[in-house]
Amino acid sequence: MIAGRHPFGSSAGRSLPALLLVPGVFCYLLIGVGPSLATAFYAFTDATGIRGIPIRWIGFDNFDEFLFQGRASRDNLAALRRTLTFCLVVTTVQFGLGLLLAVLLNQRLAGRTIFRTLFFLPVILGVVVQGLMWKLFLLPRGGPMATLFGWIGQESEFLGGPQAFMWVIVVQVWANVGITMVIFLAGMQAIPEELYHAAQVDGAGRWQQFRNVTWPQLTPAVNTNFLLNVIGSLQAWQLFLVLIGYRPGTQVLGYLVYAEGFGRTSGAVTTAFRQGYAAAASIVLFLLVLVLGMTAHVAVGRRERRYLA
Amino acid sequence: MKLPRVNLRVPGLGRAGPKAASYVILLAFAALYVGPILMLVGTSLKQLPEFFKDPTGLPPNPSFDNFTKAWSLANFPGYALNSVIYTVVATSLFVVMAVLVAFPIARRYVRGSGALLALYVVALFLPPALIPQFQLILSLGLYNSRPGYILLFLVNPIGLIILVNYIKSVPVELDQSAAVDGCGYLRFIFSVLLPLIRPAVATVTVLHAIGIWNELILATIYLTNDDLYPITRGLIVFEGVYGSDWPALAAAVLMLMLPMLVLFVFLQRYIISGLTSGAVKG
Repeated sequence: MIAGRHPFGSSAGRSLPALLLVPGVFCYLLIGVGPSLATAFYAFTDATGIRGIPIRWIGFDNFDEFLFQGRASRDNLAALRRTLTFCLVVTTVQFGLGLLLAVLLNQRLAGRTIFRTLFFLPVILGVVVQGLMWKLFLLPRGGPMATLFGWIGQESEFLGGPQAFMWVIVVQVWANVGITMVIFLAGMQAIPEELYHAAQVDGAGRWQQFRNVTWPQLTPAVNTNFLLNVIGSLQAWQLFLVLIGYRPGTQVLGYLVYAEGFGRTSGAVTTAFRQGYAAAASIVLFLLVLVLGMTAHVAVGRRERRYLA
Repeated sequence: MKLPRVNLRVPGLGRAGPKAASYVILLAFAALYVGPILMLVGTSLKQLPEFFKDPTGLPPNPSFDNFTKAWSLANFPGYALNSVIYTVVATSLFVVMAVLVAFPIARRYVRGSGALLALYVVALFLPPALIPQFQLILSLGLYNSRPGYILLFLVNPIGLIILVNYIKSVPVELDQSAAVDGCGYLRFIFSVLLPLIRPAVATVTVLHAIGIWNELILATIYLTNDDLYPITRGLIVFEGVYGSDWPALAAAVLMLMLPMLVLFVFLQRYIISGLTSGAVKG
């Protein structure tokens, strides 16, 4: 890289900024963007997780097997559908709840800082704490949720039963709705007070103020949250690992990539895992994110033009 | 048929009504957040037989035995030390390198600054690097080692973008006047610029550190030696071995949470400003 103009030091120090920038950019290329792009290469190989075994180019075999061959491919397609369901439900609920909480906390209420802190808290705790906390809370025998269920004469195995997938959705939303909420809140606080005064002078009620002032003015936050929720929920899978482990009939695509590439238990990587196959699976997931992300982006752009034209 | 619009607001109730409803909804949600935490704390204060008899009730004889038990049972001090090493070393290295990358990009002091920034933005949309990253670490001989694990955390495109955007808000005239006064490039960055961009540096530091502290997947993939585990990985192994000993596990989970909780209480506004930056302006 050639040095540009900077006002510091003598002619000998011309290239200092470029030199000092090299370590950071090198790390980024080596660990970040390089491997990301190389996923597309590995998807066409039979790479394993073992050092020293030569890697062969096998064309579209991984994709063919992943999508079209035998029982495994039917399970994979089921996982793909499950990923879409997960994305749809999580995005809808998290977006709606995040907006509701933000609207409630945007009022002058005593204790609103405490509520905001509480709802945001799980975001910083990470999947291990989130997951173990809810495993305990959802203890099937005598746990708090089981006790609540008992009061209304219900019983459930929670994470051990057929509703496990639904409970992972609950925990996923619980853990991440705080981000959606604070982004909405930041957007609401940027709306000028005068707009509300003007609306009140015109006799607008609460709902009309929300409909005609808050919602259109919130466009950037709405867009950000919508995109973040769609992309985030398509890629989320770690709570599945902590909450229920690798159980047939519950995995999503992200978990599939991990399980094929690094093993189904959280144990050591000792045997030959199919990393080429896993790379192909992650390309499938990437294409899904790309298509849905783009669709969301276009939908959001159309809305933006309508409101901000 | 179109119904006439009715103003539902009753005078006098206009203020109290919606507020009361707001509190009801907020408190209902708060219960879902306080509940699991209380259950965790309650469980950690019980003896195992007490827990089996009544998991949900209050601890009859609260004691801190489980904390000492978890601390000694699972090599907890070793895991905690590892977590601290990974978090502190990788975060400091990353932040220093990131400032040295972000400043010249924000100021266009190197050619190709725009393209370089685009390269960081693009990363947000690329497929996960999981598989090739593993192959790379394996072939570098860094698998199952501390340096290899730290290397994985020297990258954070979002953090870099936050820094670039913040540095752009510092006036360029400052660079020129400092240079006229004979201030060198490095001295300018560390003693003039750094204090001015402290909020952004704090945000990036905290977000990056939290990410490393909470990481489970990379620790599972790259570390097979018990001596190298961070607490997250240690806890999952602990769960596998002592899975039914919830009191000890709950105590261990609380110990994992504690540092992040303290960090959060003091630095909440930096964390939230980092996550919401850009969301408002679009």
